[in-house]
Amino acid sequence: MQKDLETKFLSDFEQNQNIAHKICRIYTTNKDAHNDLFQEITIQLWKNYPKFRGDSKFSTWMYRVALNTAISLYRKSTKRVRTQDINDVAFKIKSNDYDDTEERQLKALYEAIHKLNDIDKALIFLYLEDKPYKEISETLGISSVNARVKMNRAKEKLKNILNP
Amino acid sequence: MDVLDNYKKVWENQPEEVSKFSALEIYKMAHSKSSSIVKWIFIIGILEFVILNSLYFFIDTKEAMKEYEKLGIENFVFYTQIAAYIILFYFLWMFYQNYKKISTVDSTKILMKKIIKTRKTVRNYVLFNLGYIALVIIVVTIANINTNFDDLNSKQLLLIIFSTLIATILILGIIWLFYQLLYGILLRKLNKNYKELAKLDSIN
Repeated sequence: MQKDLETKFLSDFEQNQNIAHKICRIYTTNKDAHNDLFQEITIQLWKNYPKFRGDSKFSTWMYRVALNTAISLYRKSTKRVRTQDINDVAFKIKSNDYDDTEERQLKALYEAIHKLNDIDKALIFLYLEDKPYKEISETLGISSVNARVKMNRAKEKLKNILNP
Repeated sequence: MDVLDNYKKVWENQPEEVSKFSALEIYKMAHSKSSSIVKWIFIIGILEFVILNSLYFFIDTKEAMKEYEKLGIENFVFYTQIAAYIILFYFLWMFYQNYKKISTVDSTKILMKKIIKTRKTVRNYVLFNLGYIALVIIVVTIANINTNFDDLNSKQLLLIIFSTLIATILILGIIWLFYQLLYGILLRKLNKNYKELAKLDSIN
């Protein structure tokens, strides 16, 4: 029984681990912190997996647990963004079939997101992941109206950072 | 939203993480020990209960009881100590119940609320203890004054009351400041995030 659950969890998580990596990239700025947060997310996912009934998609459920871990459970502060750390991030997302302009834009986007507060980071992340407002408000535990207001403000902040 | 739409496309096109973890690595991570804030809150909470209650080991209770008898307050001390133990178990029980309810499957706001509530249970226990210490100091002082009333002139009386008051405030103040510092460091990020989320609810 436990073995079956474990196998299922590993296959579910392995397929969706990119979500966790993206969240780690948003909330941390160097490789060590990235792996630390990834590990904590893994622990939390596994701990709660027996309660996951499959009435929602694994990925939907994972967004919630992973974001909660990054916002409320993760110990280290990500306040200081050091230039060297940003290069770390850029290195991680470097790929051959990704053109130069896009790569530069993606780097700028990550840098801008790093300057947002934890809640705005979550909002922007869910926006970029194309999540509907219903899911965003349920994940964060606020009303849809509030989610919209907050989202617009977060987007404004992000735009100001990207194009001052 | 034109600018962001463009960035959104870039985001969607970003390549997958290059250093992905294998199933074995994920397995190992899933079975490793958590170092989350919640775990620290639990450990520190338990430590606080233990430390506050082990303070009694440093006091020679027999000697203290003799002193209390001399002052005629042994009944007061006895009953308040029983009450203090009942209250301790109440707080411990509440602390454990609140801790158990913390779940990352909840929404962000509810999760933060539960973590803060758990932490507040310990804070309230510390507050209760400080209050208890203050009460004992006050009662002992009053009893002291009562037993030695005839030997004291009004100047000495005032001096005793004044110095006891200052000493009590000073001791409790220092403990409280230290505590606020610990509490602040642990929950600073969480409180800030909670306010950020809750701010919305008060606007609309």
